[in-house]
Amino acid sequence: MMLPRDLLQLSLHNLLLHKVRSILTSLGVIFGVGSVIAMLAISEGAKRKALSQIEAMGIDKILVYAKKPSVEGTGENAEETGTTERYGLTSRDLVHIRQMDNVERVTLMHDTRQKVRKGIDRMDLKLVAVGYRFLLDSNSRIEQGRWLSPADYKQQSMVCVIGQNVKRKLFNLGQTDIVGSVLRIGQQVFTIVGILHNDNGTQYPELGSPNDMILIPTTTSDAVFGSYSFTMFGRQTRVTLVDYDLFIVTTHEIMHIDDTSKRISAYLQKTHDKVRDWDVLVPLDLLKQREATQNIFTIVMSSIASISLIVGGIGIMNIMLASVYERRKEIGTRRALGAQKSDILVQFLIETVTLTSLGGMLGVVMGIGISQLITLYADMPTVYSIWSIVASLLISSLVGVIFGTYPAWKAAQQNPITVLRAE
Amino acid sequence: MAPAEESDVIVRLVDLRKTYMAGSLPVPVLKGLNFTVRRGSFVGIVGTSGSGKSTLLNILGMLDVPTSGQYLLENIAVETLSDTELAIIRNRKIGFIFQSFNLFPHLTIEQNIEVPMLYGRVPARIRRARALELAQKVRLGHRLGHRPTQLSGGECQRVAIARALSNNPAFLLADEPTGNLDEKTGIEIMDLFHKLNQEQGVTIIMVTHNPALESHYDQVIRLRDGLIMEKFSAEGLHQ
Repeated sequence: MMLPRDLLQLSLHNLLLHKVRSILTSLGVIFGVGSVIAMLAISEGAKRKALSQIEAMGIDKILVYAKKPSVEGTGENAEETGTTERYGLTSRDLVHIRQMDNVERVTLMHDTRQKVRKGIDRMDLKLVAVGYRFLLDSNSRIEQGRWLSPADYKQQSMVCVIGQNVKRKLFNLGQTDIVGSVLRIGQQVFTIVGILHNDNGTQYPELGSPNDMILIPTTTSDAVFGSYSFTMFGRQTRVTLVDYDLFIVTTHEIMHIDDTSKRISAYLQKTHDKVRDWDVLVPLDLLKQREATQNIFTIVMSSIASISLIVGGIGIMNIMLASVYERRKEIGTRRALGAQKSDILVQFLIETVTLTSLGGMLGVVMGIGISQLITLYADMPTVYSIWSIVASLLISSLVGVIFGTYPAWKAAQQNPITVLRAE
Repeated sequence: MAPAEESDVIVRLVDLRKTYMAGSLPVPVLKGLNFTVRRGSFVGIVGTSGSGKSTLLNILGMLDVPTSGQYLLENIAVETLSDTELAIIRNRKIGFIFQSFNLFPHLTIEQNIEVPMLYGRVPARIRRARALELAQKVRLGHRLGHRPTQLSGGECQRVAIARALSNNPAFLLADEPTGNLDEKTGIEIMDLFHKLNQEQGVTIIMVTHNPALESHYDQVIRLRDGLIMEKFSAEGLHQ
């Protein structure tokens, strides 16, 4: 066998002789790897985004929330009167859930169902009463001013913290004296003490994002609004009574979160007389499900993309076979001058592997380019991992070995006598 | 003719036969050849087409193996060797020269001369020095960086001769080396062979159908129908 360095040089020399052909030959692999990389980057990006949204709700949390029962329900609720509607989570539920094992704390959320207006325009904003730990439990931060203080709760202060979208919708751009100004809702006037920002994309079931909320202490809400809310339906006034809209249940042990959520469900099932006016959501479960579906998506997409790699490999094999035929006199001469079969085999194999590996590298560059473009123009996050790049490079080299072996073997098997005679 | 010492014999053929199969029908091509080639001799194997000289050339060049009989190269029995061993011996002991030169068109003259040394695992530095030395020997030292397409036929064949000499082979095996050249260039090439044989003591086996070259050889083996028809030495010519 030749010295490895010489063998490598010889193979590279042959590729450089036919630059255009080499590039055309590896085009299949370039596009194959490119699409695999882009595909993985896109699905990884989608996955990260979805997961971070779910994660923002807290993986150690169980969300128990009130759901308006459907009208065609069992008819056991107060719907029949047409005037009062009572559903959702009650104080009894709260007391019971707080006492359960593995429950560290429960943070309350109650939608006051007050209409928020700017001038005469009704805004799509919610005035929500929340417990003191809400800031922590919703993974939000204070952008300006301060959070509701324990004193506010104690004194039932008429203060509120507004989400950053509320600021955008109710105030003019560039207005700086928002903290300290007042907000009139219905008959009540609240002083804004802080602006809250949630950059995790947290979405609560039925309630939406904290960024769209005006948050007030639960004690204040109880004092000024109570649990009742009034809605006009034509000439009829409908009364809605919901004690609590959402419990953010924080658990001690994530390991037992399934068990705890099952016990909560079982309890609510029993006490709510089989009326489905509640639901339980475990972000961790959602996370797992999402991860599983995303993984399947990734596998399917990259399988489809890798078909083009195989097609590229077959293309290379064809060209290498043609090249063996075209160069059979060279092969014969080399054999006569003392090349062993293995010299010829390795020479051709290196040529193919080099082609596919270089194709793989160009493909990686192309894949990254494509995913950057997608991020730029389609506003989709893309994430390419070192892992996917390394794997693509390895796989493209492997494609070279797989599809290069047969042509290389064929080259080594050329009978020098016959090929030297062929002119 | 002084009795040849054993160590002086490079090639010895003993009842060498080659039979090809045409379907199930055996076609004998070489029907029992016996001859020896001594170190430093210039042997011509002459015959018309169909005489079996190409087959003999392939066997001497170890591209083919005999069906029966023995081919000893420096006392090594060729038929016992594996494909890889044959390649190694071919590389070290035999210097091939082809009718159509068979240079690698994309390599420089220097690189062309180096090819057998590549397969002989000679380090790059030594290869380069040796290539220069050989190129000078065939009077092409000034064209090392050129490519074969920039050379005339005669020059190409000189490069091929330099290439064949690169691993210091036991003998040069030339297949109609003047067949693709005009008469004048052909004579030049034959003179070069002559010079190598006389001055450097290079052993040469030349296969040709051209009877005009016979005067150059000091041993002629004439083949017809797979048998040696005539074998004569021009003894005393060089002694």
